[in-house]
Amino acid sequence: MSADNSSLVPSFVVFQVGTRRVALPRDCVAELIASPILFSFPHTTPLITGVVLRRGRIVPVLDLGPGLLGAPSPQARFFLVVERRISNSSERCAIPVQGECELVAGILLPASGQQDFVTGYLDLHEEQINVLDLEKAIAASAGAEEEFIPAVEALS
Amino acid sequence: MTQPASSALTPRDTRRREHVAVFSIAEYSFVISAASIQEIRSTDSLGGTVVDLDRPVMQKVRHIVERDSRAYYVVSGYEHFHLPQSRPTTVLILRSAPVAVLVDRIEEMAEIRVLLTLPKSFHGEERTWYRGLTVLDRKVLPVANPLGFLTAAELQQLEEQNPGLLQSAAAMRHERERV
Repeated sequence: MSADNSSLVPSFVVFQVGTRRVALPRDCVAELIASPILFSFPHTTPLITGVVLRRGRIVPVLDLGPGLLGAPSPQARFFLVVERRISNSSERCAIPVQGECELVAGILLPASGQQDFVTGYLDLHEEQINVLDLEKAIAASAGAEEEFIPAVEALS
Repeated sequence: MTQPASSALTPRDTRRREHVAVFSIAEYSFVISAASIQEIRSTDSLGGTVVDLDRPVMQKVRHIVERDSRAYYVVSGYEHFHLPQSRPTTVLILRSAPVAVLVDRIEEMAEIRVLLTLPKSFHGEERTWYRGLTVLDRKVLPVANPLGFLTAAELQQLEEQNPGLLQSAAAMRHERERV
């Protein structure tokens, strides 16, 4: 990852979920990890596809595909480890991403507003990259997953 | 019992070790404290001691099994964990609750050194199902909560719908043995 270094300009991590390129504020992101072993076990929490073991810590893996793409994201080689706030404490989670991530500096421009979890956008080489509110994106993905599971069951 | 740690493994681990049984249901493996198990039996050996519930109030419990003058609700492991139907060959009769759990098989007896808390991102039934997670042979496995197979509310519901059945199943067996 590389960045345009300006302490006044906020920086963002741009990543790809399925076909969609989106960004998170730099301070939400801890690291990018490659091909960790994913462990899964029964549970009923939407979005969680398993856990990875990272430096002796259990890190849940959350798929943002249902909210961002309308479907689970494809198999990923990389996981972006992010810091989320739950009940006044922070917890690291991993988001499966396709391809490499970029660290960029840029001005957050106001969102035009269809999706509640998009806080604004970055203009990056004439490409508009949506910047996410992580907790809202997780909530939207969880809601979308709960909607399409009964639909899949009805079709099967 | 192993004390829950935060979600990190400590490099020099001085916590107590815990003996566990590793069991499987469908494609998943689980760990349960050996101290919480009264007995491990083959399902074939339970034939004559199984009583059908008069009014099954939950899908995962349809029978009572009686062992040593005590009766236990038989919990289907795959239905408890919402897994596809499996072929249970083994029953874990628990010590701390009137519960016998049907599992596919026992994989091994082992020892764990650490119990990691379930991350807060998990907010579903798994918070009742598991005491936490552990690492065994470089695999992350859930540690089953013996009191999570039937919660106090579920036990009360079963007892209300099948009043006295648990006691009478045990008493009948005791009577048969006396005669």
